[in-house]
Amino acid sequence: MFESIEQWPIAAELRGSTWAYPFVNAAHIVGIALLFGAIVPLDLRLAGFWRGVPVAPLRRVLVPIAVLGLCLAITAGVLLFIAKAADYAASALFQAKMVLVALALANAAALRLAPAWRAKEETAASIAGIWPRIAGIASMVLWFSAILLGRLVGYFKDYPGLTWAE
Amino acid sequence: MQRRDFLKVVLAGAGVTFLGTSAVHAHHGWAWATDEKFEITGTIITVKLGNPHGELTLDATGENKGEKWTIEIGQPWRNERAGLTKALLKTGTEVTILGKRAKDPKLKVAKAERVTIAGKNYDLYPERLGS
Repeated sequence: MFESIEQWPIAAELRGSTWAYPFVNAAHIVGIALLFGAIVPLDLRLAGFWRGVPVAPLRRVLVPIAVLGLCLAITAGVLLFIAKAADYAASALFQAKMVLVALALANAAALRLAPAWRAKEETAASIAGIWPRIAGIASMVLWFSAILLGRLVGYFKDYPGLTWAE
Repeated sequence: MQRRDFLKVVLAGAGVTFLGTSAVHAHHGWAWATDEKFEITGTIITVKLGNPHGELTLDATGENKGEKWTIEIGQPWRNERAGLTKALLKTGTEVTILGKRAKDPKLKVAKAERVTIAGKNYDLYPERLGS
């Protein structure tokens, strides 16, 4: 299945390109930069930093940037993946990265559905408590780990035991 | 309070970055390889060309006989510059690789600086081969 993805014209085009591939690579990094750069201030606020700063305006600015970054990172990431789909699919590091991204997204979704986050007017109680704090810390840890594993996919590709047998 | 918060953030970030980088053993670039010249000859088992870099697997002959080696070659523009085409890299072809091997002895992986096929040299990194 992944071998056939590699045969797609767009995958072959990217694999053989001089400029398109590094361009897509850069787009992936820009996407991650926007996502992580926007989400860390939010996560830190949730974790208890800057209590004097109201959450609503922070959220209004940073959430759309994070979502934009996520969309860019996913789009570019899918393109990078299809260029060498079988190799990445067989990589334990890549699989672990996908699990972490899924967990980070689930964490974000859970937070978004939480009453504290949905409340329009911020009250003393709305952002207090242990759960927003845990969600904020979990978000930073999960996204950072996903980024680290993403890098390790390239660095440890041929390392024994990190790729499933062909 | 605000200044203290900032300091805490910077310290936490620095700690995480240190943990991350100190654990990493580079694969991209050259840091993962030894500095000594390494030569290996074998017949091509598989060929994968393209970004982020091409890759051959070799059934080694000579002193490494019986070993299966993975050889990194260039990305498309580098192979093209060296004149190393897809037609030259056919399964079963005998090639000699001059380059750098991974430091980790368990890793049968090397990065090619020069590929020699039928007596002809294809220099991927002329600046590293020097004179």
